[in-house]
Amino acid sequence: MVVDGLFYTKQHEWAKIEGDTVTVGITDYAQQMLGEVTFAELPAVDKQFEAHDELAVVESSKSASDIYCPVTGDVIEVNSALNSEPELINRSCYEQGWICKLKVTDAKSIEELMNSKQYEEFLNEL
Amino acid sequence: MEKSKAAAGEFIFELSKSEPKQSALYNEHLKLTDKSRMADFAGFMMPLWYSSISNEHKAVRCAAGLFDCTHMGVLEFAGKDAADFLNLIATNDVNTLTEGSAQYSYVIDAAGNILDDIIVYRRGKEKFMVVVNAGNEPKIKAYLAALQSGKAILDIDNPKRKLELNPAISDMKETEFGSDGRVDIALQGPASLDILLALTQDEKIKEQIKEVKPFKFTQAVIAGIDCIISRTGYTGAKISFELFVSPAKAAQLWELLLENGKSFGLEPCGLGARDSLRIEAGLPLYGHELSGDFDISPFEAGYGWAVKLQKEFFIGKNAMQQRAKDYDMQVARIKISAAAGVRPVRQNDAVLNENGKCVGWILSCAKAGENQLALAYVEKESTKENQPLGIYYLARSKRQMEDGKKQSVQKNEQLKKDIEAITVSRFEKF
Repeated sequence: MVVDGLFYTKQHEWAKIEGDTVTVGITDYAQQMLGEVTFAELPAVDKQFEAHDELAVVESSKSASDIYCPVTGDVIEVNSALNSEPELINRSCYEQGWICKLKVTDAKSIEELMNSKQYEEFLNEL
Repeated sequence: MEKSKAAAGEFIFELSKSEPKQSALYNEHLKLTDKSRMADFAGFMMPLWYSSISNEHKAVRCAAGLFDCTHMGVLEFAGKDAADFLNLIATNDVNTLTEGSAQYSYVIDAAGNILDDIIVYRRGKEKFMVVVNAGNEPKIKAYLAALQSGKAILDIDNPKRKLELNPAISDMKETEFGSDGRVDIALQGPASLDILLALTQDEKIKEQIKEVKPFKFTQAVIAGIDCIISRTGYTGAKISFELFVSPAKAAQLWELLLENGKSFGLEPCGLGARDSLRIEAGLPLYGHELSGDFDISPFEAGYGWAVKLQKEFFIGKNAMQQRAKDYDMQVARIKISAAAGVRPVRQNDAVLNENGKCVGWILSCAKAGENQLALAYVEKESTKENQPLGIYYLARSKRQMEDGKKQSVQKNEQLKKDIEAITVSRFEKF
């Protein structure tokens, strides 16, 4: 499932852009590939990231996967609900399973992202 | 890459890379799960999970699970030399194996390298069925061929020792094998007996199946399909079966079991649950708790009883005699919390004693209900039940490395534990 209005990376992260705030999570395709998520290592608030930096780690019973930052910015909020309920990433990857919010410091970094149609095409080619 | 020189009696085998094969049930899997959840395992495209690992794990503990094991190697050893040959190449004693019984054993080369762990089924005085690991099958076949052609050494202390036995060895999975061909489908869990019994109306056959004790087997036609019905398995379930059927009938039996087992709570299970169940039960996986990076011996793995050193001779006996005497590490089963927010323990994470000294490493770990169960390679002193231990997680991300987490840990290193653990009994039955 791909949600219209969000932006996507080739590593299967999504980004919701509202002004200069970007909410980040992983896509339905990614959560399906991971299996049951049992742990999420969230970034520290205020930490600065460049696009493509390792932002978080999501672990399932079978693997540990890096989540890459889709844009360049500073972390302003993390989804602390994931500390006690990491499975929210499986249950609601586009809503309750969001990972963190960033304040974009380089608007250009947003331009590299795919829109939902482009991401869907990308998935079809996999 | 430069090949290192082989030790005397060492059997060297290099598997050529090839495309993963499809198991006899490949098309059945595609009906139940997405192609993206299939992965190359031991040279076969196998399902990782159907519903979810935890759901499938639970089904086997509370009801029953169905596993595609048709990728496993199934070989026949037949003829007047078959028993003596198996006694020569495997560590357990085939002479004590009665018809209708199964036996766990090891194949070891003359240098003492463990080539595989196997199950030997005695079907007759001169007829055996041997199940080998899918990943080891090409190596075992090459080894057997080398033995039969006189190219493999039997005894490093007596290189002139020649093989004077010539059993007929055939692959029971191949169509050329004919009507008695066999592949393995596992039906495991407390409801598995009832599911099997529901497949036949014949009271005599029902009685025959009920009478099969653990590590025994029988042969019967159920729902028109000729089956070897064996009380063996790899999940730790007290009631569990492996059904050996013709490759041509495998899909039919699979569908029949799934359909009829539904009302009993039967779930198809993938590799994920297969692994979590065997870890929870304490069963070794070749390459992890046996052989592998630490070259773990049967004695260290907790299976010294399957190596019969009192036998006059078997290939690798000298090496095994040595290894039975000196070892100070052992496989232990340990329990760690799986509460919300606890990071999963993984292979190579360090195991610490109460004083924070590294006494070994994690070999395999899986979530089982409220706990994580792990098999670890640790100092003998730390294998006692109820021993408090600690786990040190290795760095798994750049950030953890920046925070000073190590990427590998040596024995006796002094570390601060990340989470508590406790040693539990080596094995558990369910």
